[in-house]
Amino acid sequence: MDISVEQRESRLGWKLIAPSIGVIGLLIIYPILYNVYLSFFDVKLTGANLFVGFANYERLLKDTAYYSSLFTTVLYLFGTVLGTTVVGLFVALLMNLHFPFRNVARTVILLPYFAPVISVVFGWQFIFDPVNGIYNHVVVEMLHLSGTRHNLIGDPKTALLVVILFDIWKHFPISYLLIISKLQSINRDQYEAAAMDGCGPIGRFFHITLPEISFVLGTLVILRLMWNWNKFDEVFLLAPNVETLPIFTYYTAFTGIIDQGMAASISVINFLILSGLIIFYVKKILKW
Amino acid sequence: MLGKRTLWQNCLLALTLGVVLFFCLFPFIQILSTSLKHQFDWGNPSLIPIKLNLKAYQELLGLGKGAEVPIPETVKRLLDNPLLTKEAKEKILSRYRSTRDVFPFPRFFLNTFLLSVTAAGLSLLLAVFGAYAFSRLRFKGRSVIRRSILFVYMVGGVLLMVPLYQMSVKVGLAGTVWGSLFSLVLIYIIQTLPVSLYMLGNYFRTIPFALEEAAATDGCSRIQALFLIILPLSVPMLITVFVYCFMIAWNEFLFAFVFLKQYHDFHTLPLALQSLFVSKNAIWDRIMAASMLTLSPVILCFVFIMRNLTRGLTEGGVKE
Amino acid sequence: MASLKLKNIHKRFGSVEVLHDINLEIKEGEFVVLVGPSGCGKSTTLRLIAGLEDITEGEVIINHNVVNLLEPQHRNIAMVFQNYALYPHKNVRENIIFGLKMAKVSRDIMDARLEKVAKMLELQDFLDRKPAQLSGGQRQRVAMGRAIVRDADVFLFDEPLSNLDAKLRHQMRSEIKRIHRAVQTTTLYVTHDQVEAMTMGDRIVVMKEGVIEQQGTPMEIYLKPSNTFVATFIGSPSMNLMDAKLFPEHVEIEGQRIHFKEKIQRPDFLLPKEGLPIKLGIRPDFFLDENFASRGGSLAKINYAKIDLIEPLGFDKELDVQVGTQSLKVRLDLRTTAKEGDTINLCFDMERAHFFDIKTDKNLFIHPPIRPQA
Ligand SMILES: Nc1ncnc2c1ncn2[C@@H]1O[C@H](COP(=O)(O)OP(=O)(O)OP(=O)(O)O)[C@@H](O)[C@H]1O
Ligand SMILES: [Mg+2]
Repeated sequence: MDISVEQRESRLGWKLIAPSIGVIGLLIIYPILYNVYLSFFDVKLTGANLFVGFANYERLLKDTAYYSSLFTTVLYLFGTVLGTTVVGLFVALLMNLHFPFRNVARTVILLPYFAPVISVVFGWQFIFDPVNGIYNHVVVEMLHLSGTRHNLIGDPKTALLVVILFDIWKHFPISYLLIISKLQSINRDQYEAAAMDGCGPIGRFFHITLPEISFVLGTLVILRLMWNWNKFDEVFLLAPNVETLPIFTYYTAFTGIIDQGMAASISVINFLILSGLIIFYVKKILKW
Repeated sequence: MLGKRTLWQNCLLALTLGVVLFFCLFPFIQILSTSLKHQFDWGNPSLIPIKLNLKAYQELLGLGKGAEVPIPETVKRLLDNPLLTKEAKEKILSRYRSTRDVFPFPRFFLNTFLLSVTAAGLSLLLAVFGAYAFSRLRFKGRSVIRRSILFVYMVGGVLLMVPLYQMSVKVGLAGTVWGSLFSLVLIYIIQTLPVSLYMLGNYFRTIPFALEEAAATDGCSRIQALFLIILPLSVPMLITVFVYCFMIAWNEFLFAFVFLKQYHDFHTLPLALQSLFVSKNAIWDRIMAASMLTLSPVILCFVFIMRNLTRGLTEGGVKE
Repeated sequence: MASLKLKNIHKRFGSVEVLHDINLEIKEGEFVVLVGPSGCGKSTTLRLIAGLEDITEGEVIINHNVVNLLEPQHRNIAMVFQNYALYPHKNVRENIIFGLKMAKVSRDIMDARLEKVAKMLELQDFLDRKPAQLSGGQRQRVAMGRAIVRDADVFLFDEPLSNLDAKLRHQMRSEIKRIHRAVQTTTLYVTHDQVEAMTMGDRIVVMKEGVIEQQGTPMEIYLKPSNTFVATFIGSPSMNLMDAKLFPEHVEIEGQRIHFKEKIQRPDFLLPKEGLPIKLGIRPDFFLDENFASRGGSLAKINYAKIDLIEPLGFDKELDVQVGTQSLKVRLDLRTTAKEGDTINLCFDMERAHFFDIKTDKNLFIHPPIRPQA
């Protein structure tokens, strides 16, 4: 009873936030640290872990499979970041024009983003199915671009393309959403002034629109990098043979010769890279 | 003056719009179409079934009696191949012979639903208190916490896969069904908690402080003010956050895969669908029907919270 | 009902002190108005009393109890906020009885009080509406109702009328007074509008930059401002301040000597031989046209005021005049026929004039520098 308003408020604040901090600390912060710890051990599923120092890292850095996985990841990131941003921008510009039923179109566009991955991947599998799929029908039977039907998803090289296309399809809506909300806040006067000054539509895009949304675009690129760096389910479900780093980690940790110590060391390296991205994002984009 | 278009430009616009909408919607239409087709119709590029087939839905929902699974034409042709060994043939055939695990859709639906509701509810509960604390109470360390939450919510699930699994093995949770389910609930909570905190916190901050001060002079403690004034005013956002968490849990695959793979009866829909796809019961119409059924609640939620959600997302609470 | 006392209150936000040593006493049932320019610390004072902010130093005493550490919900104070702060999700009835509910008052008493208050504020027809469906004046009345219904020890009002239009403000002013007369609750009313302060307060407290400049009845404040700030802040149009020199027997303005006619008007403190430079304060309303001044002989006089501008206001007219190099605002009645460009002679009662120290801005007759030895 003998404490001031401020102290009372501060105590209540800590009390209310404590459960959240507890959960986050126990199940996010602690695991991250535990992961670092595990990466120095030969992890046995029986629980008897053996300290091996940097051996996991050494093995990892000598493993060609790791580098090929890294390369796949880089290709995947490049394709998806570029694709979602460009498609998102294009659609945002399109949806910013006036046309009948625009609101319906704006809503429909968001559908791929909200649909559960699991409910759409098999539809995509079907589209590229070598026997029944529409893709092969169009390419082989209608356009005669190829003499034989291909199993696009069966081959890791072409499967990567499908996976990238899928990611673009699934995630351009969020880029679109963030870009269009910025576009709508641009003052119309600017465009009219520029038009008076003799700027055509293309000039207006480069002189007004692009500078205004460059910040959002930057944000999107970095966010997409961060998200896709960790992307597991859609890649794994659509084409388990495309081994980006998360898939590679999963295989190392849970299939074949189970090697969770090595998996932990991959995660540590991934985490460090992700932290780098986050810090960049926070410093440069959010400007803290 | 700006925005006037010629006829030609209008045509171009309509065409482009058509392409974009087609790109967005085609996979959905394809899924719907295939789920309604008979097997002989699958290879037909037309999206309209020659003859409507509702059997897959009936089967999944347990409406009709489960029929014997027919062997597709293509597979029969494959079996005629003389190069195939006997064992391989047996293996392929057995895929179509057994009727043991026909997909019990309602059960999986219920599993997923209960799991998602529990996780979303708990996450929302924690988030209400947490968000209230760091958006409306002044205390030392508040801004550090707010920033850490943002940081944490960018660390994705895959990174935590190994340590979380190891932890639950260590405390003995991974060994039992209920332990695994419990771990999964916890994991879904942490996957959604940072976003929930963020979205709710942003919303609470828009409610005028004077309302709480009025409540205080009216005789409310802070907690009473939270429940009697702030929460009733936040109902739309509470629903939005709940549904968002629900959807994240509903869609989650990785951890369900790691923790529940061996407990077939407790599979969630994503997990069940994936095992259906790789199992002997892989038939397109059934998979597509199951996809449609998994999709439908999400579409409902989506229509329901569309407004608030897009606002919440664009205001910075974005998370995948 | 209760008494309220602020004792040596200091308030700091971080390192910035916004209230400096506030002392204030409000008797049971008194209606005190706290007035001052924007940012002077009025709201902060109220919030300290209500318990919404911590007191850095000093004591808030309600009914002889120090309440510094009491939470707002336990202070039994009702507050009417500037933006009313009505609960948007509750209808008028629920808004009004919310405080009673929190106090676990019985249903019967609750209904009886609600009915009484609704009648007093003429809210009977709106009880089922949500705040969003009410006009500004109606919302204001609901906010009042919420305060009155609770039978609180102290009412705090934070500029409750500032969001209303002029006519409604006028109307609500008398309404609030009427209600206060009916319920007789100790009230501290904050405003930055000096007209509200003058018309409503039993007592006025004038504040500036976290310091109380003067307190007293409206007439005391109006007729005996203790410094130039109070003098110019209260009253409209505000008081003229002219550079002048004070001598034992006369004042000198722009070379004109104005003699003190009666003994009581004269300064009873020591003055330098060459005269004390001062600000002479005269309210525009206290001037008379020499031609129509009946007691012309007993009044002081400023001659040769050149008229720059005349603004007719109906019964009155407001004149901007020039005396030497100084300009004055003067309010005369409609009998004056002088035109712009003419010169007139102005009379005033020396007892209504004020003499302010040019350095300290203090009223020399209230805070005399050095009195002669008796
Ligand atoms: N929470 C706070 N933190 C820091 N400074 C504050 C805070 N609240 C008020 N102040 C400062 O204290 C001073 C007094 O503010 P206060 O709100 O009491 O003024 P006021 O007299 O009510 O003005 P107004 O008539 O505009 O409402 C101002 O200079 C303000 O900037
Ligand atoms: Mg104020």
